[in-house]
Amino acid sequence: MDPTRSTHVKLLAADFLSLAVSPSVPPTFTRRTRPVSRAEAVGVVVSRDSRQKFLRFLLDDGSGCVPCVIWLNHHLLLPRLSTSAASAASADLDAASARAHAGKVRLGELLRVRGRVTVYRGELQITVKDVVVERDPNSEVLHWLHCIKLARDCYDLLPPATATDYRR
Amino acid sequence: MASSAIQPGVLVALQELEPSSPFFKEGQSVRVTGRLQSYSAETAIAVIVDGGANLSIDTKHLRDISFRTDSIYQFIGELIIQHENHVVVETRVGRNVDGVDLNLYHQSIQLRRKLESDLLKSKPNPTF
Repeated sequence: MDPTRSTHVKLLAADFLSLAVSPSVPPTFTRRTRPVSRAEAVGVVVSRDSRQKFLRFLLDDGSGCVPCVIWLNHHLLLPRLSTSAASAASADLDAASARAHAGKVRLGELLRVRGRVTVYRGELQITVKDVVVERDPNSEVLHWLHCIKLARDCYDLLPPATATDYRR
Repeated sequence: MASSAIQPGVLVALQELEPSSPFFKEGQSVRVTGRLQSYSAETAIAVIVDGGANLSIDTKHLRDISFRTDSIYQFIGELIIQHENHVVVETRVGRNVDGVDLNLYHQSIQLRRKLESDLLKSKPNPTF
């Protein structure tokens, strides 16, 4: 399996917004034919829209603005007939974690986010799982350099040969 | 939130904001970084300097930010070109970036521009 499918691919906004979207349901995403399902982005919060069920915000890294969403409706997602205490506890943890992450999203803050690549109304976005506030301003520059190096040395290359190829 | 209405602040050095520059356009969204030379609470205008150039920043929309002379700040906003090509950035967001390595920052901008240029060339329908 191509490793880009299972890692959080570090992308500049312009690169992220250029991902190809398949017409399948659910859609899949590729970057130069390599699959991408999760992404990591770093940028400054330039807009924030808080609703009861979700928080939407934009991360600006200078090359584009990445739309991000944090879902806050975990309490509504539990199956009605579920009586599992473990499920309820897990959902509570997810909800608490999501609220904590949402609390970090403030205008002008430099954030690092990780999450799944999704599409909403035809627009690529990151459904955020983790948010880190980056206090060190050099961390953003380091992320840019990582994106450049990974693009050149990994993402732009053909995927690694599969195990079957070695058996021939 | 209309994400497509908000343009990214293109990373520019202060020296690049002169009339012959491709970034020198009314309403261009930019991200600028520099050391705070002065700030007037009366006019909400901050002046930042970097690389021998200075730039006026209109900070009237900013909240929850304190200004300290000689600290390094970064602002994202739109260029307003006034009389005699005097430029002001009307900023939407700003932050203190003390500790940033400005040499590395500027070198990285050049590397990024090359990557973004390559991205544009490789796409059939560029979106930025």
